[in-house]
Amino acid sequence: MDSNSQGSGAGKGGLGGLFGGGAPEYSNTELAGVPLTGMSPLSPYLNVDPRYLVQDTDEFILPTGANKTRGRFELAFFTIGGSCITGAALGAVNGLRMGLKETRDMAWSKPRNVQIINMVTRQGASWANSLGSVALLYSVFGVAIEKARGAEDDINTVAAGTLTGMLFKSGSGVKGVARGGLAGLALSGAYALYNNWDHITGSSSSSSRLY
Amino acid sequence: MEEYAREPCPWRIVDDCGGAFTMGAIGGGVFQSIKGFRNAPAGVGHRLRGSANAVRIRAPQIGGSFAVWGGLFSTIDCGLVRLRGKEDPWNSITSGALTGAILAARSGPLTMMGSAMMGGILLALIEGFGILLTRYTAQQFQNPVPFVEDPSQLPPKDGGQQQQQQEAKGQF
Repeated sequence: MDSNSQGSGAGKGGLGGLFGGGAPEYSNTELAGVPLTGMSPLSPYLNVDPRYLVQDTDEFILPTGANKTRGRFELAFFTIGGSCITGAALGAVNGLRMGLKETRDMAWSKPRNVQIINMVTRQGASWANSLGSVALLYSVFGVAIEKARGAEDDINTVAAGTLTGMLFKSGSGVKGVARGGLAGLALSGAYALYNNWDHITGSSSSSSRLY
Repeated sequence: MEEYAREPCPWRIVDDCGGAFTMGAIGGGVFQSIKGFRNAPAGVGHRLRGSANAVRIRAPQIGGSFAVWGGLFSTIDCGLVRLRGKEDPWNSITSGALTGAILAARSGPLTMMGSAMMGGILLALIEGFGILLTRYTAQQFQNPVPFVEDPSQLPPKDGGQQQQQQEAKGQF
């Protein structure tokens, strides 16, 4: 009984050296009050230290030449298309709002409907084009910077975002370029922060990343 | 080159929309830059500014109309795949025709028919080209025809076989 209680203390402490010299390298030396002599807690037939069996549960079989996550180029079309569609949706909603506001004084009639529909399609198209071209610039800069650096990390994201902001507002003079660059820096910085939030706050797993 | 992998159907629409926007924006950007360059007043500064302005204003619009075409085409294509339960060139040709028709809907039935025919013929050309290319590149993987001996050259069937069998037994 005494030896058992001693052994259970050692087992709870997780040290293998105290109780018996049977299995000093295993982390648990007893299982349910019964001392293990030469057996592993995982299985009585396992005579290898389980710490030597490295099991990376994230291993996938990849064809030759493929890398684990999608590169920027493969994600580019999806990003651009998604931005176009989002822009179209947002612009349609905005056009509806504007159309309703401007035709407030009209009675419900065909001209009013036609005017509202025109506002919706124009705003939808305009926002879709803007967001799509922003996404296109971001993707082009991202791919170019990645190829130039040869490495892929968040600096690429932030730099591409900044350059996009600068180029997008390049028609408004130096002040416009500066403001656009700051906006791009802030947005892409926030996105990079969001991607790495778990990493920064110290938890072990980081969320899956889309660039 | 890596294997070409298309997304499954709902996401394929977004991908095609993005791809079409890219093609339209970059192609339109190139053309508009040249056009803006040529239509600007003399002097390199003016010309470059004119070129940049033209690109900035027109390239997203051209990209947008390509994106609408691509997105609508892909949506109808995915719908047909879902309806028919198979993927073949007829889906693409029909989708092209329907896309052309829908995008010309505001201009009346006759224009819709014309636009549908143009879309269908364009897609038929593209698909036909694709099929020819597949057949041509598949030829290099064909197995060669196995060499057939002239049957009259073989030794007579019964006597030759018995002799060969006795020889084989004698060896062991």
